[in-house]
Parts: sequence; C-alpha cells; structure tokens
Amino acid sequence: MHFIFSNEVVLLFDFWSVHSPAGMALSVVVVLLLAVLYESIKVGKAKLLYQAAVSLSIPTSQLTEETDQDSSGSDSPPVSRTRLRWFFCHFSQSLIHVVQVVIGYFMMLAVMSYNTWIFFGVILGSAVGYYLAYPLLSMV
Amino acid sequence: MAHNTTTVPSHHHHPTTSASHSHSHGGGMGDMMMHMTFYFGFKNVELLFSGLVINTAGEMAGAFVAVFLLAMFYEGLKIARESLLRKSQVSIRYNSMPVPGPNGTILMETHKTVGQQMLSFPHLLQTVLHIIQVVISYFLMLIFMTYNGYLCIAVAAGAGTGYFLFSWKKAVVVDITEHCH
Repeated sequence: MHFIFSNEVVLLFDFWSVHSPAGMALSVVVVLLLAVLYESIKVGKAKLLYQAAVSLSIPTSQLTEETDQDSSGSDSPPVSRTRLRWFFCHFSQSLIHVVQVVIGYFMMLAVMSYNTWIFFGVILGSAVGYYLAYPLLSMV
Repeated sequence: MAHNTTTVPSHHHHPTTSASHSHSHGGGMGDMMMHMTFYFGFKNVELLFSGLVINTAGEMAGAFVAVFLLAMFYEGLKIARESLLRKSQVSIRYNSMPVPGPNGTILMETHKTVGQQMLSFPHLLQTVLHIIQVVISYFLMLIFMTYNGYLCIAVAAGAGTGYFLFSWKKAVVVDITEHCH
C-alpha cells in the first residue's frame, strides 16, 4: 500500500464517499478542521485543569504535595462542597479526554486511507491548530 | 477479486471501496477482509493475532471487556510513569526570575530543572515501562483499526474510565512548557 493522489476515497463511514474534486476539497477542509479541533482540545484540557485548581483556591504546590504523600484523609482546605465541584470538574475533564482520544483515532484512520490530499489536510490542520492554540496555554 | 472469502453481513459497501481502490491495488492487497468504514458486527472478527477470531456475541462481549481493561491499563500506566518520574527526580539547578503577578505586583518565580541519572534503577524502570506503553498504544491503534464499532467504543470508554479513575487523586501542576502526554 502506498500514498496515492486520487479524487475518490471513502472516509471512516459508509456515507462519506467522495468521487469529485469538489467533494475531495470539502473533505480535506473537514479533516483540517478536525485536526485543529484536536490540538485545541489538548490545550483546552490543560487550561481547564489549571483554572479549576485556581478557582477552587487550592495552591498548586499543595496539589503535588498531596499526591506525594499519597494519603487519602489529608484534605484539609477543601470542604465537601469543594470536593463535589472538583468531582464535576474531573468528570468533565474525563469526557473531554474521551473526545480527544476518539478524534485522535479518527485522524489516524483518515491518514490510513492513504489518500495524499487527506494526509496533507491532517498535517496542515495539526500545524494550524498548534500554531493557534499553544500560545493560549501560557496566557493566564 | 476474492469476494467469496469475505463475510456476508455489512459488506454491501465493498463494491464501492474496491472500485475506488482497484485502479491502484492491482494484486497488492493480501488481506481482502479489511474493513475501511465503521461497522457493527461480531461474526468473523479477527483481532490482532491469527488465532484470535470472534464468531459469537459472547466472544464479542469478552473481547469488549478485555479491550476496555487494556485501555484502562494504558491510561493507568501513563499516570503511574508520571508519578514515578516525579518521585525519582534529582534537581539539577534552580533559576529564579521576576514575573508579573495578577494585581500588577512582581512575583519571583523559581524554575527547577530536574532530571534523572542515566544508569540508575528508576531510569531503567522508566525505560521498561516506556516500552510496555508503546506496545500497548500500538495494540490499541490496531484494535481501533479493525473498524469494528463495538471494539472502538470499548477503546474510547476504557480510555475515559482509566483517565477518570487514575488521575482522580492526582492533580498535576500545569507546567506551561509541558506538551501533550
């Protein structure tokens, strides 16, 4: 199997079959946006964690000390309400993680179609997504 | 083409895929049973190894549970390696710099560069765990590549559950230079 330049491809699902140059251009744009979304989800997850830690008034140094001690009962500052908020925050983070995993696999499968246009779309989308999203990581 | 070797259900899309591939894959593709789109089925599903074929719903349920646990184990391994790395690190140098704070004040931010010694036991353990992590991640990729809907859902659900369970107690200090893990 090798990379080919072709205007015909079937991507991921039965209904997504492309036969024309216009359809191929649209598919490349969709795959590009998917890759941009993937990169921004990675940044978004990290920012969400940071903002949750800040908003719950837990100093970040204390978070690491809590894990190093590995004790289950030493939650001195958080009250039960804060723990509930932390639970919801962590649950939504897990959902975002599932979305990230699924989109990552979809991009892998799109590249596996061995269509060169789709491959360019994935690479370009990753580049654009990284370029746009990663500066937001260092913004507080 | 060898359509007589393919299974009957959900293969009505095969004429379109072979039509789109036939001009370039003259006789090169050996495995004609490879799906190229998502499908839901449990008959004659080959999973990773040559003897491992799923034929009944019960076997598919067992495979679902096994893949789910594998994905959970992968997430746990990632987080275990992170915590192991942090526990065994040796600080190499401190570097303090002034940083603007939230209210216009100037804070002193201290950066600590950490690393591991090369021939130490923690580093060797990290290397072994890294190899295991790479192998399992490739297995999960190959499982997802079967395009079987049940198995793909098992991978995604296992990843989510593993992430939820194993990083519950572990809040990571967000390092702004840390990339995806």
